[in-house]
Amino acid sequence: MTVEQPAPPSQQPTAAPPGFGHDRSDGRIVIDNLTKVFGTQRAVDSLSFTVEPGSVTGFLGPNGAGKTTTLRMLLGLIQPTSGTATINGVTYPHLQRPLETVGAALEASSFHPAHTGLQHLRIYCAAAGLPARRADEVLELVGLASAAKKKTKGYSMGMRQRLALAATLLGDPKVLILDEPANGLDPEGIRWLRGFFRHLAGEGRTVLVSSHQLTEVQAVADRAVILNQGRLVRAGTIEELSAGTSMAIVRGPDLRPLQRALADAGLTGTTELDGSLRVRIDELTQIGHLAFVNGVELHELRLEEFDLERLFFTLTEGEHRGADLDARPPLGQVALNTPGGAK
Amino acid sequence: MINLIKSEVLKVRSTQVWMWMILPAVALTGLATAGTVYGSITDNEQIGVPIRYYDIFTQSGGAAVALLVIGILGLTTEFRHKTITPTLLATPSRTRVVIGKALSYSLFAVFYALVCGVVNFAIAIIWLNAKNVPLDFGHGVVMGVVKALLALVLTALFGLGLGAMVRNQAAAMVIGILYFAIISNLLGIIPWVRKAYPYTPGGAIRAFTSNGSTRDTASDVHMLVPVVGGLVFLAWAVLLLVSGGYLSLKRDIS
Repeated sequence: MTVEQPAPPSQQPTAAPPGFGHDRSDGRIVIDNLTKVFGTQRAVDSLSFTVEPGSVTGFLGPNGAGKTTTLRMLLGLIQPTSGTATINGVTYPHLQRPLETVGAALEASSFHPAHTGLQHLRIYCAAAGLPARRADEVLELVGLASAAKKKTKGYSMGMRQRLALAATLLGDPKVLILDEPANGLDPEGIRWLRGFFRHLAGEGRTVLVSSHQLTEVQAVADRAVILNQGRLVRAGTIEELSAGTSMAIVRGPDLRPLQRALADAGLTGTTELDGSLRVRIDELTQIGHLAFVNGVELHELRLEEFDLERLFFTLTEGEHRGADLDARPPLGQVALNTPGGAK
Repeated sequence: MINLIKSEVLKVRSTQVWMWMILPAVALTGLATAGTVYGSITDNEQIGVPIRYYDIFTQSGGAAVALLVIGILGLTTEFRHKTITPTLLATPSRTRVVIGKALSYSLFAVFYALVCGVVNFAIAIIWLNAKNVPLDFGHGVVMGVVKALLALVLTALFGLGLGAMVRNQAAAMVIGILYFAIISNLLGIIPWVRKAYPYTPGGAIRAFTSNGSTRDTASDVHMLVPVVGGLVFLAWAVLLLVSGGYLSLKRDIS
């Protein structure tokens, strides 16, 4: 199968022309005690969180954590067993002009193979009462204009992702809900997507993006919601999640005097098998000073800063999965003791 | 609702299915018209049977199979290609989606009926003129043409409902075509079962498109009067649409 590459996307996505996006409500998403039971399995279990307007929120969790089920309940595609999910205070099916309020891309394969990208978009323009030219505009916006008249069965995965993103922008909505939008994108595409998210959030839109590409999420997200086995395990701003998670790594021929000095200063650390010392601290000045005044020779002194991926694996792997998290130790201690903690 | 109909019509027009389906519909209509005109003229010339104008001018039913197929594709395609997700994102009311599809496919049925009707009339009029047979649009012909058009609309709705019930596209096609081509006729000749035949979809639509005769020549069954036959077939189509729509669209889209 011949795959035509799309034209390079615009480096700086441009705003949609005025006249769209009639819904000027705040764009707040509220998930309140949401539960979905499939048979005997609780796919989503008493989930509650809020996505603030004008923010990019990463919705994270391992496969089967309940992310997609949550998003589909939010969009009225799956009926919750209990609880509510609202956008602007109402459930999705009750939105007056849904495509002009919310743009959602749930999977990059919801296309009729015999339709061209342009036809696909025009169908939903018609359904939403938007002018047909809007389809051309959003294709241009996502860098797919050159493939507009190509049948979607000939699209690569990256092109499908772009087409799905284009569909979300048709109504110039205040809220964007994207499920794994980076799947299949090449590095250039991912870089473009990162700029795209920043641009959208900068316009005051609410972006909720589920992804397993944690580095990318950390680069663009203001907030993160971490889900495991259908339950919320952590939610907050990136700053809140990173508080107290930085780790100093110290190496040297004899660190015992430094360990004593650190203990006197109220700092605790652990000695690893390779002899290095790990100390939970947000900056290195104090350790450097204590090493100097105690005459300790150092071969390495560096700060391992917050890493969303590490936090994610800490919260979703091994003994700390799902229900066990209620009894979890402090985050820094988890990072020290969990095998996956230093990934 | 107008936007929804535009969207649904665009969905069908954006594939070539509607275009490819009209070719066999026109061909079947042409063949059926030619056969009926030839048979009627021959019978008239040889044994003096009056020209069967009603039969001659109501042969647009060749489009029925095409509209059954297009109707079946209406929802099965959405599930097969997962386009049901963007469809419901654009129109969250599932009832409106089904109604929008029903109205859109009714428009396609009218279009097919007009195209096949033109073919039917053109062949019949040219042939009858060539044989110096006078044209006569009495004998219930006008009502027959209207009923033929309505039958095509109902067939499209029946197909849409069948597709909503079965959901599997291939299975729905096989069931729909086999039923109208073979099973329906068998039901008309099987003892005991034949008593129920007039109330089956096949029996009801046959009664609706008949010239008021209450005895079906093929099955020798006492048929419903046309208007009741039409109402029974409409009831079948609505039953399938409502129950199929409920089953297909009330479920979680995951």
